[in-house]
Amino acid sequence: MEKPKIDFAVGLNAYETVKEIVGKCVEAERLGLDYLWIGDSPPHLYCPSVAAAVASRTKKIRIGLGLLSPILHTSDQISGSIISLTEAYGDRFEICLGVGDRSQLSRVGVDTKPGKVWDQVLKAKRKIVRSLRASGLATKIWLGAQGPKMLAASKSFDGVLMNYASPRMVKWAIDRVKPVARKDFEFGIYAPSYVYKRWRPEAYRLLRIASAVVALGAPTVVLNEFGFSKGLRRAIEEHEGRLRIESVVKHVPSEVVDSFSIYTPSSGLHSYLRELSGLGISHIVFGFPQNLSKITVRDLASALPSP
Amino acid sequence: MKLDLGISSSSSLQAAVKFSKLADRDSLNCIWIREDPRAQPEIFTVASIILLETSTLKVGTEVTSPLDRNISTIARAAATLSQMGRERLRLGLDAAGPNTLMRDTATLLRRLWTGETVTFTSDRFRLRNYYARYKPSFATPIYFGARNPKLLALAGEIADGVILSGPKRYIEKAVAVVDQGLKKRKRRRGSFRFVAWVPTAIIDKKSDLRLAREAVATVLAVTPEAVLKMAGIAQGRVMPIKAMMVEKGVNGASRIIAEDLLQEVAIFGSPEEVALDLKSLEKYGIDEAIFGAPYGREPAKAIGEMARAWKSLR
Repeated sequence: MEKPKIDFAVGLNAYETVKEIVGKCVEAERLGLDYLWIGDSPPHLYCPSVAAAVASRTKKIRIGLGLLSPILHTSDQISGSIISLTEAYGDRFEICLGVGDRSQLSRVGVDTKPGKVWDQVLKAKRKIVRSLRASGLATKIWLGAQGPKMLAASKSFDGVLMNYASPRMVKWAIDRVKPVARKDFEFGIYAPSYVYKRWRPEAYRLLRIASAVVALGAPTVVLNEFGFSKGLRRAIEEHEGRLRIESVVKHVPSEVVDSFSIYTPSSGLHSYLRELSGLGISHIVFGFPQNLSKITVRDLASALPSP
Repeated sequence: MKLDLGISSSSSLQAAVKFSKLADRDSLNCIWIREDPRAQPEIFTVASIILLETSTLKVGTEVTSPLDRNISTIARAAATLSQMGRERLRLGLDAAGPNTLMRDTATLLRRLWTGETVTFTSDRFRLRNYYARYKPSFATPIYFGARNPKLLALAGEIADGVILSGPKRYIEKAVAVVDQGLKKRKRRRGSFRFVAWVPTAIIDKKSDLRLAREAVATVLAVTPEAVLKMAGIAQGRVMPIKAMMVEKGVNGASRIIAEDLLQEVAIFGSPEEVALDLKSLEKYGIDEAIFGAPYGREPAKAIGEMARAWKSLR
């Protein structure tokens, strides 16, 4: 198959040891993936430091940091990290900004009232660009977005990473942004993923949990738009009642899991990629649990079109 | 007594890495990175890069404020660096807030590092069922960068070490205050470390004295009154220096530094003299002395000379 013009990435959830993460990243580079994305969330390792460890052991693979929340980190801290990483390891870094996981942020006392936080993200982006430019850098800055307001705001970024995977939802988002975006604006998705050669029940269980987390964190307007609200009602109620996500996931309909994740045997990936490429997607981050082990990373790499 | 190196996060990354490698090669004990809040580089990222570029050198952040970052961010940054550096990290905290803030900060960090699920509310912190998903169960030593007497005593009571900076007489008295806090512990002193950071300069020729004078002017201009008082330096002697700093900058202020202030605040001379003077801080109870800016006319050369002079003392 001819390679669609898409960059392929593995997303790393930084809660393993640094050594384990670096091992998977070295393998991903060896297998020819284009990007690594290192997540950042309060219960995880510190993303810029993990990025430094990964960059020190890889040669040219591009490294994305994020989603980084300017509600949690100051714009100076974010730009300062990128400036040092770039000076040490070359111009291989990109960032994705966004509000972040509201549930995790509230656990560490960070207030994420809608409206105010969007303004904070947009202001931070402008400050970061100024700092990076002052250091002679033109680092690509993505916005992580799901709902209409953030999608509309993404036009002032270099690209948008959407947190869903179904072509129907992706098309809906692209149709909203494309008419107002610059020509070189990029559309990407960053979704829970499980592309497999040999199906493993544990990986599928984790995929369902990861998808449920994303779906339950999606703006109501998105859930309504795609008719998911009714099916998710019980899961939302129980999740708001502070039940652990593992207990709630059984109430998340499989069509919701499918819409928020990339779940396919290796043989089914090509047609999905063609469809996304046709919609204008140029960047795909295969998120957790695709990074579960070196084997799942290899399964993904072998399913991707040859460079 | 051990020799450490001190740099500022405002140093270029190239210089920071170069100095770290020199310190690692010359078997210095620790490199302390002083966080300059006005500087671009982010201290934990710089510390990560230094840990990756060195093998045995301890790396200390000096000092980061619990007011500048979420407590969860400080906890996980320290956890990440501790893993990367195989426990070579030392976490310096800016003990400038009230005692309760610093006590809460140290306690919360240690609870999170043992893997505990923490719910805690105070004026500053709001944690609810928060726990680390990264591999916890390690113990990064916590150092307080403290100057105020109450916080110095608190450092003795709850921290793993203290970083003292100021005139020599202040350092002598500060050690005694920290000792009062240490007495409140069940096991006195133990592995607690006293670290002193004094401006140091290798002087090759008389004109190099300018470096030491400038450093002293810069330090005195921002030294709190409480520190000056403990050092027995009258506020009236520092006011003209501060005024001159505003009017004519550091160059102008350095010209009015009196000889006794120069001797009291900085350590300078030949490598052997500086080594001996730093070593002399041991009599106050100091365990580690930091060789820090301005170093000398050629900083890299000065660091090498200093390391050799220090070795020759043994």
